[in-house]
Amino acid sequence: MTTQLDAPDRFLVGSHAGEPSDAARPARVVPWRRLGYGLLGVVLAAALWELVAAILDDPVTLPSVQATVHTFREYLSTSYPAGGRTLFGHAMVSAARILAGWTAGVVAGIVIGGVMASLRPVRFLLDPLIEITRPLPPLAFIPLFIVWFGIGELPKFLLILVGVVPIMIIATVSALDTVPTELIQAGRSLGASPVWALVTVRLRAALPPIITGMRIAMGGAWTSIVAVELIAATSGLGYLINNAGVNLQTPLVISGILAISVLGIVFDGLLRLLHRLADPASR
Amino acid sequence: MTTQPAVQISGVHKRFSGRTRRSPARVALDGFDLTVRPGEFLCLLGPSGCGKSTLLNMLAGFSLPDEGSVLVDGEPVTGPGPDRGVLFQTPMLFPWLTTRDNVLYGPRARHRLDAQARERADALLASVGLADSADAFPHQLSGGMRHRAAFARVLVNRPRLLLMDEPFGALDAISRVAMQRFLLELWERDRITIVFVTHDVEEAALLGDRVCVMTGSPGRTRALIDIDLPRPRRLQDTETLEFVRLKRRIREALEAEAA
Repeated sequence: MTTQLDAPDRFLVGSHAGEPSDAARPARVVPWRRLGYGLLGVVLAAALWELVAAILDDPVTLPSVQATVHTFREYLSTSYPAGGRTLFGHAMVSAARILAGWTAGVVAGIVIGGVMASLRPVRFLLDPLIEITRPLPPLAFIPLFIVWFGIGELPKFLLILVGVVPIMIIATVSALDTVPTELIQAGRSLGASPVWALVTVRLRAALPPIITGMRIAMGGAWTSIVAVELIAATSGLGYLINNAGVNLQTPLVISGILAISVLGIVFDGLLRLLHRLADPASR
Repeated sequence: MTTQPAVQISGVHKRFSGRTRRSPARVALDGFDLTVRPGEFLCLLGPSGCGKSTLLNMLAGFSLPDEGSVLVDGEPVTGPGPDRGVLFQTPMLFPWLTTRDNVLYGPRARHRLDAQARERADALLASVGLADSADAFPHQLSGGMRHRAAFARVLVNRPRLLLMDEPFGALDAISRVAMQRFLLELWERDRITIVFVTHDVEEAALLGDRVCVMTGSPGRTRALIDIDLPRPRRLQDTETLEFVRLKRRIREALEAEAA
């Protein structure tokens, strides 16, 4: 997985960026058109779903959009299974697991990546380990973690770490590597002490691509947590989906999937906002 | 002579270790001497790899000589500092700061951010023609504007010495001419000592009081040529006979080295 989504040459602000004149470029216009087309796409997909559901006429195979929305709203406040949590409650359980594992993984990844980018021996030591573990899907560890740690919260937390930490290490190292030496030298020659330049130039310049890494890691964290909840959990959206599927409650299965989607959009939206705050050029 | 030289470089050696154990170390500078007078505009001219950027890096304090001494105002250079303003090939503005905050980076880093520094920053931005773009981010500026912002960012520290490493090399021809004119006006006004690295013969002859022509690796001074053209200089001066004659002298010095 490449984490260099931000081009390394975003600092090379020479004159070849294609400015027509010596005037400041106008601010970007809000892309309403794009938003309109995006909404249209969603509406068309829902219409197609409704059409296929009407043709099939079998709510177990594919419930209608209305039936699904109805189920979604009903189970927001209805326990499932009886005596258990509501859809909202399961969503919060999953979200809490995600946030705990992802936050710990992000912090660990940034710290390890920062040390690797600064100390060559550490880098040479850890590089092969990361290369070995990186191609492994975290899901392959589920049986092992269940054997080792049972079905409590610990294996879920660790599984998210397995997915998040390598992504964050790679993102952090490459982000710090692509900060041009001259940018740090510029800070130093303007009067910054080595530590001040490290914090206000090197780390600051690396922040936008690190946030991009955090977004990618968030996607991985969702994959891990839903998978482990499908297999070994008594709460969470993965558990709800699996249980509802076993009982052929298709509208509830789809409701669970939609809930994951909503949470994913919310988390990613917050991270995109963070990225915008960190990188004025992306506004 | 009573005045102390602004820059005194004597007997400087600098070598870089080879990539592999067997490849020999590359000698960038081998006993280099140079003196720059206060207020002088000195151009370092030479082919790539002649050590002119190495020299500038040592003046800036980014690297230290293996042997010999580098003195700025009589004091040895031990590291980077705000008394020596550095302008890089690209403006190297901080993309996450507005133009004004880029200019205020120096005062902030030195913990000298007060009302006076803010006033000075705004005055400097106005003097480089960026008063209206103070709150814009670097990506919203044109190439020439970014270079002028970089000038303001360096000048806010009141440097004794300006070090420029092919600062206009990445600009298109029209912006480059505008920046040369801008730099000449700035120097006429402030008379800061400038060491200017370039590989452009015409640029060196137009801007400099003296041109130091350097030989290829290891770097040595090939010739020191006085540019005794009257000041203030204008772009039209490049069409005069004296200018063309000076250009030929510089070029001959460069080519004598190649032969």
